[in-house]
Amino acid sequence: MTSTRMIRVTAFALVVFTMLAGVVFAHHSRAGYDDKKQITLKGVVKEVAWRNPHVYVIFGVKDDKGNIVQWTGELSSVSTMLAAGMSKDTLKAGDEIVVIGSPAEAGTPQSLVAKLSRADGTLIVADSYRRDTR
Amino acid sequence: MKLEVRKSLIVSTFLVLAAVISSSAAFAQEGRERDVRPPALPSITPPEGWKQCPRCQNNDDRRKARVNYKVEGHEFKPQDLSGVWGYDGVGGDRGPTFRTPPPLTEWGKERRQATMGKLNDKGEHVVSKDTSGLGGASRINCDPMGYPRLYTYNYGFEFVQLPDRVLQFFELNHTWRTIWTDGRKLPANPPEPHWMGWNIGHWEGDTFVVESNGFDERSWIDGSEPDGGWPHSDEMRVVERYHRMNYGTLEVQLTVNDPKTYTQPWVTKQSNISLVPGTELWENFCVPSDYDTFTNDVYLPATGVKQ
Repeated sequence: MTSTRMIRVTAFALVVFTMLAGVVFAHHSRAGYDDKKQITLKGVVKEVAWRNPHVYVIFGVKDDKGNIVQWTGELSSVSTMLAAGMSKDTLKAGDEIVVIGSPAEAGTPQSLVAKLSRADGTLIVADSYRRDTR
Repeated sequence: MKLEVRKSLIVSTFLVLAAVISSSAAFAQEGRERDVRPPALPSITPPEGWKQCPRCQNNDDRRKARVNYKVEGHEFKPQDLSGVWGYDGVGGDRGPTFRTPPPLTEWGKERRQATMGKLNDKGEHVVSKDTSGLGGASRINCDPMGYPRLYTYNYGFEFVQLPDRVLQFFELNHTWRTIWTDGRKLPANPPEPHWMGWNIGHWEGDTFVVESNGFDERSWIDGSEPDGGWPHSDEMRVVERYHRMNYGTLEVQLTVNDPKTYTQPWVTKQSNISLVPGTELWENFCVPSDYDTFTNDVYLPATGVKQ
């Protein structure tokens, strides 16, 4: 009975792993970010660089000591962001945002944005690298 | 007990196989609207009377446009190639159009080696010598991609047919090439190399055949994974064959003849490029100052690489 359960658990884990592997393969790798980690940041928009090759948001985040640290949130190309539902007018300086993304490998205050929302929870970008936005 | 274990094994194997097949099938269709989930958010609507750019559509927009523009079963003229074609490379990002080259000559091997960049301590390809692609590891200076690399990197192109020439406009890098159809021959010794080549075209039945030579040998035929690119010489000649199979599909095959670089002609598989209704070309320039800013402010700090 124990071995049966083990096999079932192993099989389930394999299925889940395989499905996740498919998701991982489907994304383009972006050098410089640790895609195995995810961080959540709350901050205030300073500027949106609405340019190719990749749009990025510069925003201030309060650290443990209460200092404002300037972060960069990298998105995707201008056309991909338009397909994803974000325009140059979506965010303006002073907007409060929540960024979920991968941190920079170098430990710098940078994130590859996976999900971008307003502080009130309104979704701005669901997944800037999802293929169906292309 | 044994029977139960056996049953469980069979079910488990079936589940794993099903997951592998579904995952592989999804992966194999990369660049071909593989993701059929509805988008989480609608795309940005273009100004009234204007259309979206080819990559400004999400897959939901594309599905709707194919219905609205009645692509399925639409009548067409085989010798009319007008329209916007493709949006996401040919055969998916970076191939498989030029994935498997014929054997390189000695000269070709040297050129190929010269395209390889640098690795970091972890063995990752972080500094590319690509000066014209869109790779994350490169310090792009916006050199022209040239042809046929621009074909493989297709962000959407449009054919405009005139009595004496066919113009091919490209969304990526906002450039074009002229394919002369007035009966002239390719120059035996082109007076200057062209990034996009010297191009002539003619019809063979319903197939539009484009022949080119006089290429600038600084461009790559295509980038290669995980680093570098496939080189060519200034002796390269390219033959392209375009056949409109139906209103919504263009079948294309390329042959690269470059005996200085490859010991055999490089014949690509036949690729189908889809019409992208509801779109028009916008302006996707490669702007050197924008790429510089991105490289210095975002890419290099994130990687910790010093170039």
